[in-house]
Amino acid sequence: MTAIRTENLTKRYGALTAVDRVDLAVEEGEIFGFLGPNGAGKSTLINVLLDFARPTTGSVEVFGIDCQERSVAARERMGVLPEGYAVYGRLTGRQHVQFAMESKGVDGDPMDVLDRVGVAEAADRPAGEYSKGMAQRLVLAMALVGEPELLILDEPTSGLDPNGAKRMREILTEENERGATVFFSSHILEQVESISDRVGIMHDGKLVAVDTIDKLRRTAKNGTKLLISVDDSDDSHLETIEAVDGVQSAWFEDDEDKLGVTCSNDAKMDILVALHERGVDVLDFTTEEPSLEDLFVEYTGGRS
Amino acid sequence: MPWQAIARKEIRGLVKPRSIKLGLFLVGFTFTMGGYLLPTAQATPTTTDYTGYMQGAVTLLLPLFGLLLGYKTVVAERESGQLELLLSLPHSRKGTVFGKFVGRTAVLAMVVGLGILSGSALVAYPFGSLEPGVMVGYFLITGLYGMAFVSIGMAISTMTTSSRLATAATFGIFFLFVVLWPELEVPLFLVLDYLGLANGGLPDWALFVRGLEPGMLYDRIIAAFFGQVDRGRYLGPDAPWFLGEWPALVLLGAWTIAPVAIGYRRFRGTDL
Repeated sequence: MTAIRTENLTKRYGALTAVDRVDLAVEEGEIFGFLGPNGAGKSTLINVLLDFARPTTGSVEVFGIDCQERSVAARERMGVLPEGYAVYGRLTGRQHVQFAMESKGVDGDPMDVLDRVGVAEAADRPAGEYSKGMAQRLVLAMALVGEPELLILDEPTSGLDPNGAKRMREILTEENERGATVFFSSHILEQVESISDRVGIMHDGKLVAVDTIDKLRRTAKNGTKLLISVDDSDDSHLETIEAVDGVQSAWFEDDEDKLGVTCSNDAKMDILVALHERGVDVLDFTTEEPSLEDLFVEYTGGRS
Repeated sequence: MPWQAIARKEIRGLVKPRSIKLGLFLVGFTFTMGGYLLPTAQATPTTTDYTGYMQGAVTLLLPLFGLLLGYKTVVAERESGQLELLLSLPHSRKGTVFGKFVGRTAVLAMVVGLGILSGSALVAYPFGSLEPGVMVGYFLITGLYGMAFVSIGMAISTMTTSSRLATAATFGIFFLFVVLWPELEVPLFLVLDYLGLANGGLPDWALFVRGLEPGMLYDRIIAAFFGQVDRGRYLGPDAPWFLGEWPALVLLGAWTIAPVAIGYRRFRGTDL
């Protein structure tokens, strides 16, 4: 079953098209990283999912439930960490979790989730005194209440210190192992890379790519950078390499005995073979996978 | 039920802000003080006397406190982002507005009830007399009156998107209903007279419109039910039925529901 499905989803605010004809399917049981620069439309899509905003055209479903027509039923299946929220300053952390439990009709001890996210010692302090990171943990605790089938998290690591971000990733992984589908947005790439099964990249309201990170790497135009050490630095080597299919460009590195090449992933062996056929002695070679950052820049036209 | 969770949360959070605390104290104090002062003016006061004695204070204080309870309910949460947190839980917008309304009304009813109870006790002891039926009826009608202003405040709160605008609208409503409305009689008469619609006094329909304001309705109901007043343009023997106390009670009831319902209809369709 599909956990989230958007069909031809468009959301316009006046002349601005925040989300532009997006078709997205998130499968049950996966961790889906939703990437894109700020203002790309990630939050708008999530807001439509939560029925904070109504789509201009198109629809969103969660487990087959329309998010606008049956918004409450849809949100009963979700645990949510929304964007731009504020906690109730006068209620304590424990009261927040209690409220979430009452709202979802769940019994239990609020301290269990508070303990899990690491704000147990502040449970009886008013949430107005919490730091940004603590508030973020508290809202995560509220999202975890009732073991939801789908976790929706909008920029979950914002405001967290590195330890907090690490704990967040651990919890998301644990939740996924329990069976929950995890859908989270981020503009910070390293955080997505380590835990996502698949990623989707939003840019200017459009969903420009959806795939596993490996496959995105493979299909990216400037897939791989190759560094080749040769025994002599003859300019004709460059022509040899550039004649190979899948090569973008070749050049001599500054220290003159290394060749740099950018090419598609499949072309690596062909290059080495071509050099060998020309009688060039290849002493050593290394490849550099493009970082997610590079991919991101490529898909979003250099703006991040 | 989810809306009950919201009502409970509202009550938990409500008794803490200073402005609400001050309002709660003031309302309770005023009702109690009235019960303390009435016996100094009257040797053997009754609960009925108390209802008339309190009228001026009540029609000033309850609109203020009712609006105070209502006007920030939704708009402040919307501005800060608390509403996003709340609506990311499985609450409907209807349940949200209803739960908040119930929670805030409960706080109002509690303090009005306690105030009337202690006020009545002071009236009855040692030389006055307590009429439990009057006391309960007075509580219900006065509660309804306060609720009407919570409802109006919440209507403002659901229809505006900035706290500043909501505050301005609230002052406007308070000024219009409490300060300006009682003074409208003469200008209204002059306008109708100029148009040839007044025949020596306001026509019945104009009296009806003028009498629609919650405070006017409340005054009329209290006067008729407890003051046994059966004179005047509204309650006299020649007045048409729709100016009487029972229609007034129905209209006051409508004031408690209609504003918040209209506000909800607006709120339902908007993006946060």
